Amino acid sequence: SASASVQNRNAILVSHRQKGNPLLNHIRNVRWMFADVVCDYLLGQTSCALYISLRYHLLHPDYLYYRIRELQKNFKLRVVLCHVDVEDVVKPLLEVTRTAMLHDCTLLCGWSFEECGRYLETLKVYENKPSDNIREQTHTDYLSRLNHALTSIRHVNKTDVVTLGSTFGSLSGIMDASMEDLARCPGIGERKVKRLYDTFHEPFRRVS
Amino acid sequence: MLPFQEQIISDLLDDANGGLVVVGSGLPLPSLVASLLLLHHPSAGSLLLLSAPDSQKSAISAALRRAVPDPNTELSLPSDLPGDLPSNQRTALYTSGAALFVTPRILIADLLTSRVPPSSIASLVVLNAHRLSETSTEAFIARILRSNSPSTPIHAFTDRPHSMVAGFAKAERIMKSLFIRRLHIWPRFHVLVSNDLERTPPEVVDIRVPMSSAMKGIQTAVLGAMDACLKELRKTNKVDVEDLTVENGLFKSFDEIVRRQLDPIWHTLGKKTKQLVSDLKTLRKLLDYLVRYDAVTYLKYLDTLRVSEGVRSMWIFADSSYRIFELAKKRVYQVVGADGVKISIDCKSTPTKKRKTNDTSKKETEIETGTSSATKADGRKVDANVGVVLDEILEAAPKWKVLRELLEEIEEERRKDTQANEGEAVVEDVGDLSEIVLVACKDERTCMQLEDCISRSPHQVMREEWQKYLLGKVELHSLRKCNKKKSQEPKGFGVLDGMIAAGSSDHAEPNNISKFENDALLAAASAVSISTKEDDVGDNSQSDSGRKGFQKARGKRVSRKGTSKTQAPRGKRYQVDQNNKNENASSKSKDVQSAPETTSTGICQKNTLNDKCVNIDGDKVNTIESDSAALNHGKPLPPVQFYALDSDQHILDVLKPLVIIVYHPDMTFVREIEVYKAENPYKKLKVYFLFYEDSAEVQKFEASIRRENNAFESLIRQKSLMMIPVDQNGRCIGPTTSSEPESVILQNSLTRKAGGRMSQGKKMQVIVDMREFMSSLPNVLHLKGMHVIPVTLEVGDYVLSPMICVERKSISDLFQSFASGRLYHQVETMTRYYKMPVLLIEFSQDKSFSFQSAGDIGDDVSPTNIISKLSLLVLHFPRLRLVWSRNVHATAEIFASLKQNQDEPDESKAIRVGVPSEDGIVEDDVRAENYNTSAIEFLRRLPGVTDANYRALMDGCKNLAELALLPTERLAELMGGQKAARVLKEFLDAKCPTLL
Repeated sequence: SASASVQNRNAILVSHRQKGNPLLNHIRNVRWMFADVVCDYLLGQTSCALYISLRYHLLHPDYLYYRIRELQKNFKLRVVLCHVDVEDVVKPLLEVTRTAMLHDCTLLCGWSFEECGRYLETLKVYENKPSDNIREQTHTDYLSRLNHALTSIRHVNKTDVVTLGSTFGSLSGIMDASMEDLARCPGIGERKVKRLYDTFHEPFRRVS
Repeated sequence: MLPFQEQIISDLLDDANGGLVVVGSGLPLPSLVASLLLLHHPSAGSLLLLSAPDSQKSAISAALRRAVPDPNTELSLPSDLPGDLPSNQRTALYTSGAALFVTPRILIADLLTSRVPPSSIASLVVLNAHRLSETSTEAFIARILRSNSPSTPIHAFTDRPHSMVAGFAKAERIMKSLFIRRLHIWPRFHVLVSNDLERTPPEVVDIRVPMSSAMKGIQTAVLGAMDACLKELRKTNKVDVEDLTVENGLFKSFDEIVRRQLDPIWHTLGKKTKQLVSDLKTLRKLLDYLVRYDAVTYLKYLDTLRVSEGVRSMWIFADSSYRIFELAKKRVYQVVGADGVKISIDCKSTPTKKRKTNDTSKKETEIETGTSSATKADGRKVDANVGVVLDEILEAAPKWKVLRELLEEIEEERRKDTQANEGEAVVEDVGDLSEIVLVACKDERTCMQLEDCISRSPHQVMREEWQKYLLGKVELHSLRKCNKKKSQEPKGFGVLDGMIAAGSSDHAEPNNISKFENDALLAAASAVSISTKEDDVGDNSQSDSGRKGFQKARGKRVSRKGTSKTQAPRGKRYQVDQNNKNENASSKSKDVQSAPETTSTGICQKNTLNDKCVNIDGDKVNTIESDSAALNHGKPLPPVQFYALDSDQHILDVLKPLVIIVYHPDMTFVREIEVYKAENPYKKLKVYFLFYEDSAEVQKFEASIRRENNAFESLIRQKSLMMIPVDQNGRCIGPTTSSEPESVILQNSLTRKAGGRMSQGKKMQVIVDMREFMSSLPNVLHLKGMHVIPVTLEVGDYVLSPMICVERKSISDLFQSFASGRLYHQVETMTRYYKMPVLLIEFSQDKSFSFQSAGDIGDDVSPTNIISKLSLLVLHFPRLRLVWSRNVHATAEIFASLKQNQDEPDESKAIRVGVPSEDGIVEDDVRAENYNTSAIEFLRRLPGVTDANYRALMDGCKNLAELALLPTERLAELMGGQKAARVLKEFLDAKCPTLL
């Protein structure tokens, strides 16, 4: 029916293969249900995930490859969710990485069932979320903007920003300050003075 | 050169392989390098000096000039290798046989692109060897150099023994990575060194200055807070308790100790633990600044801290930190009710903690009673302007006064000497310079302030700082009035005001007490500005000096101990009054001006004291007008030169002082004095040390010596156990067991993929961005046998094949560039230009291989969590491939594996990718050398500046300072829009609403 299909769309569809995976106990923020799907977790119309633990991979090194091949070309985003559950990770992880990369899969690593579960949840919850959260943020209040700009200069910390701001009154005041004036600020040592001064007074392009 | 230095050099040159020299801090490292330079002859090839910071460069050049006193001899000072030189000129420079300063990043790129013929290098000198590790670029350089010309000697130097023992067999590993076998250890306690330095020791006078009680209080409180933090840290059970002592906490390296222990699990730590670590750092600074800054500046710094640290810090809310703020304030001013009762600070409004102020009971009885509306101790509804009086205290640093006395005494002694010597022949070393008394203090700021103190009076200086402080408040206040909306209340008022704001989001009225205090401050500020205008100091200072006299006139003693031949003449004890107003009155018995009534311990009649002060004050005003320091106290002062230890210049040999006052004791400088004295055995050098008695300053000084000695002992032990492999020719074999690692991997790859496409003898190629040479991955890739091609890449960090481009992020990078949004941008461009864009997340071997522990994940999907950010990135870039690497070696393996069955990348193509066409030809060079990257980053973070218009802005003005002055119209022209220009201009000129 229509309502069922809506429900299906809002839930993660889990393959019967995953029955008994403790990971399922940690999917709590999203609904999930078992279904006949070719992937392990169907996260949306065009995205899916395969689950593999490194320990399992060590026992069955070919498993991942066959699972990926089964997916065919039906998905835009194909996640390989790798549970890092062995101590000596370098070799198995290399193999998993290689397989995932060469077969157009995106590899995500989790170190616990909680973390792996959280990845699945997040991928579902954020299905249609815009990328604002990871794009350059526009802080609106003055101080955080000032912090954002001034702390890009190495060694300058937030305390220094406040010091500079209150000493020189405005950003243009700071940018115009002489070395001596900068040195007079408490907490601003030689190194910072030079850094600041050079940033403001050295030309953008060193070679003409 | 002293005999021991000659010994060091001849020992070092004994081994043709080179060696590692570890000297005690302050021993003359630059002159050792200079003597190596003198022995160098251009015909042998060029001598490269690696990784010397600017101060060291100039020190080496200076030492070289000194070593060749004859001005006629041709002296070739080592020059810098500029980064923007065309490649043929570089080669010419390298082959010229000169001595050159090079940065590792440039040298490795030049070595890899064969712009340096390895045979043209006569020897390599590595400075700051304590910074090296197997994977650092210096080791990379050493390896390439040794593989091409095995006989090139490599000399490494360091004067930081304590950092040479930080980590397991660090010295040994450094030596292996540089392919050297000999370790030369030269501590200060080495027989040859101590013989040389102690033959004619300088005369030393140790002066212990007592701290004021408020300073002591602050110190105890800071130490208390540190101790509390340390206890908390111990409770986490995540650090080795043994190293966690307050004594260790005094050093910068303490952070390193803690971080080294915590780093492997850093991402698993809770917020609290992380905050504790950074709090400890803040507290250490507070302790340091206590003896370095004057009372007003200290308070100002605390104010700033309160705003910037806000509610995050733990220590700010600890009980002891309450005392820090309270006492710091007390050193500057007090708020008293107009009826003379001190306003009690009401804590009822604090939601978290109740605090009792014990000052409530203390009555200030001598304050003149103002006519005002009644103030209750409760003090809630009183008009602040009338009800509260600000009582200035302005405690001057005790050392200031002692310094002044010392200078007077020195001058007096000198006069006596010249009188006594009159008629005799003039002694040979009475040059102009030797008259100078050198005062060494930590930083430039102290220098300037002390200079002011000497040329004027300490009180004057304090007043000025105080006025600046007040005026700052006035400005901010008026600012808040006019645009209340914009200025946001800092979230936590903190304890300075004796209360914690409820953190209310609405624009709350400042709490009663803080309002009183604020208003009182403002009132004082306006009064101050008026009184300065009227040029009327006498009246103002009369009353408050009277007050001060009463409150603060406690007798303090300055005891001095003359170690070694004590020549400290006259009485060994002075009565030093705390109140700097009366200083010359009470300090010296010989003082002409000393009135009988003030020489006692300060329990004097108020009236007489007042009179006295007025006199002195008048005196001061006059002298300042006549601008003569000598008249000021009726005592002449010797010429004084101030020197900031931070500036790292070697000034002793230039100034050649006979008297040195060490204002801030520092082990390195003491050693420098010793060497200076040993080099000039006929000079009569006298050194005064100014310590605060029982202070952290003394502890720190003594502990630094102990620490260095321990480091040396450990190094000596390590040396006896070292195992360094040597090949048949007696050359050292480095950390790579096979001398030609590439052959191994080639064989492997051949067997692995039978009939592979790679023809024999052709190495795998990786194109690497120049900036990546700061990291160790290029080094490790090379170690794996890959051919590393350094170029400047606009897109990505590594190009593995025409299809694969990799952006490498260390964990901290990853978090940072997610936060800044840079990662999104980078992935976006990478996806645009490459078929297989790769984000490499590289963990560090000594840190944990995970983002967070399971417990930290939380119950909900939180947008700030790294999981959420990564998921979002993956959702938006389904083509992006993620590679997770345990460490740098694993990365190299992954790269090799990914490169199989792929074509080799095309260098010239990779360079052009993503370069905007208007930039024209991109030179094959390091971007940082051509651009002021720091300025560009800054520019791009300004509001209104976008990816589209920042280049035009860069073209439109020379530098940021110029940009700040451009009018809006011009900005609009450059930025292509009025709106953006206005946004930028407004931001640049906006008043900073920061402090209260």
